[in-house]
Amino acid sequence: MPKIPTQEELEQRKRVQINAETVTNAQSNDFPHHWPGEDHSWNLDYFKSQFRVKFEKNERYDAEFSLIGLDTSVANAFRRILIAEIPTLAIETVFINQNTSIIADEVLAHRMGLVPLTASRKGLDWMSWYREPTEEDRGSGQPMDYNACQLRLEAACTWLDDDAINRANRGETDPNKLYKNHSIYAKDLVWVPSGQQNDKFEEPLRPTNPDILLVKMRPGQKIELFVQAIKGIGQDHAKFSPVATASYRLMPTIDITKPILGQDAKKFARCFPKGVIELEKVTEEEASEKKELEGKEGELKAVVKNPMRDTVSRECLRHPEFKDKVKLGRVRDHFIFKVESTGQWDSDLLFLESVKLLKVKCERVKRGLDAMMG
Amino acid sequence: MSSQNYSYNPSGQQASAPVTAESGRSVEYTCGDCDASVQLKRGEPIRCRNCGHRVLYKQRTNRMVQFEAR
Repeated sequence: MPKIPTQEELEQRKRVQINAETVTNAQSNDFPHHWPGEDHSWNLDYFKSQFRVKFEKNERYDAEFSLIGLDTSVANAFRRILIAEIPTLAIETVFINQNTSIIADEVLAHRMGLVPLTASRKGLDWMSWYREPTEEDRGSGQPMDYNACQLRLEAACTWLDDDAINRANRGETDPNKLYKNHSIYAKDLVWVPSGQQNDKFEEPLRPTNPDILLVKMRPGQKIELFVQAIKGIGQDHAKFSPVATASYRLMPTIDITKPILGQDAKKFARCFPKGVIELEKVTEEEASEKKELEGKEGELKAVVKNPMRDTVSRECLRHPEFKDKVKLGRVRDHFIFKVESTGQWDSDLLFLESVKLLKVKCERVKRGLDAMMG
Repeated sequence: MSSQNYSYNPSGQQASAPVTAESGRSVEYTCGDCDASVQLKRGEPIRCRNCGHRVLYKQRTNRMVQFEAR
């Protein structure tokens, strides 16, 4: 007969304890043969009953959500897939016809590569992979409308008017008052749709952030180039990574074991970021129930309001008056994900895509195992 | 470092002519002093028509150069 631990004990088991100088109980222990007499074999129905997803924020380019009840290995797999394996479009080749600016060609090309692009999801899904031809392999051949997008950048800096040069000689230094086109931004990259791209892309391909400064120029300098953007993954180069941030942290916990009152409560609240600890008046009911609160009704008491916002700085453990009154920790199976898209995917879709990719990988392993056994 | 190759421009638009070719062709230079553009033919004195400065800079080629954005 398997032993069934109480809910409270289960909670304690998955609590990472954060002490003044050490972190303990960090490893997971919900696997078979760890707890004598208990069955911890993995079970889909049990997982389904325990697993929860909670969205804290879901904006297009910024999502924050909690995954509760899964193992670190899985959560980390999602994070790594988000960063390195979801395909996006990025500038790969730069053809420079003219560049007399002070930025060297290769530096300029590198800069252009890092500019995040955006377009309609449908068009990006339709794009296929481009493989560069080598001597022994012809790759995917010439870049075509279905595997490469072309953008143009043409700019020349001039004096603003005939008198500008005289103003410069007189000591004027504000470039806005002297030159035309003195700063070239990402928005100056213009998409040149070709072939089927005209129908497949509902929204034009463009840099996500129009105001990224690419080059500064002075009169007489000129840039004339076109670039090819292809699909790639973050493993190949960071410019293909679809996320600016994809990270998780564990849910912090703050347990106040003995009441913290009055001035101490105010000082305690200051040990945490705003909104984590709040002050409440001790009610009559509490005062009559708890021995420590006897005769303290009306006094201010520290209460934990929003532990999620805590940075777990452990500041409160440095003060001797709080040392024995508070316990800090983290919940080992509560992952607070933060996903910030660079513009080609919606942040929530990105996560779903990472789930899809992990599934595909698992199926590949399964097929491999089947082939090995049978 | 990034790899690069100097490839021939297939569209062939106004690729600058070699300097030593036909003596009739003129090449554009930039004056080192007054920044004016100077057209020079073969055998002409190297001198700016605008200010008489004797240092002229050769201009960058119009040929296309291909780079990897990495």
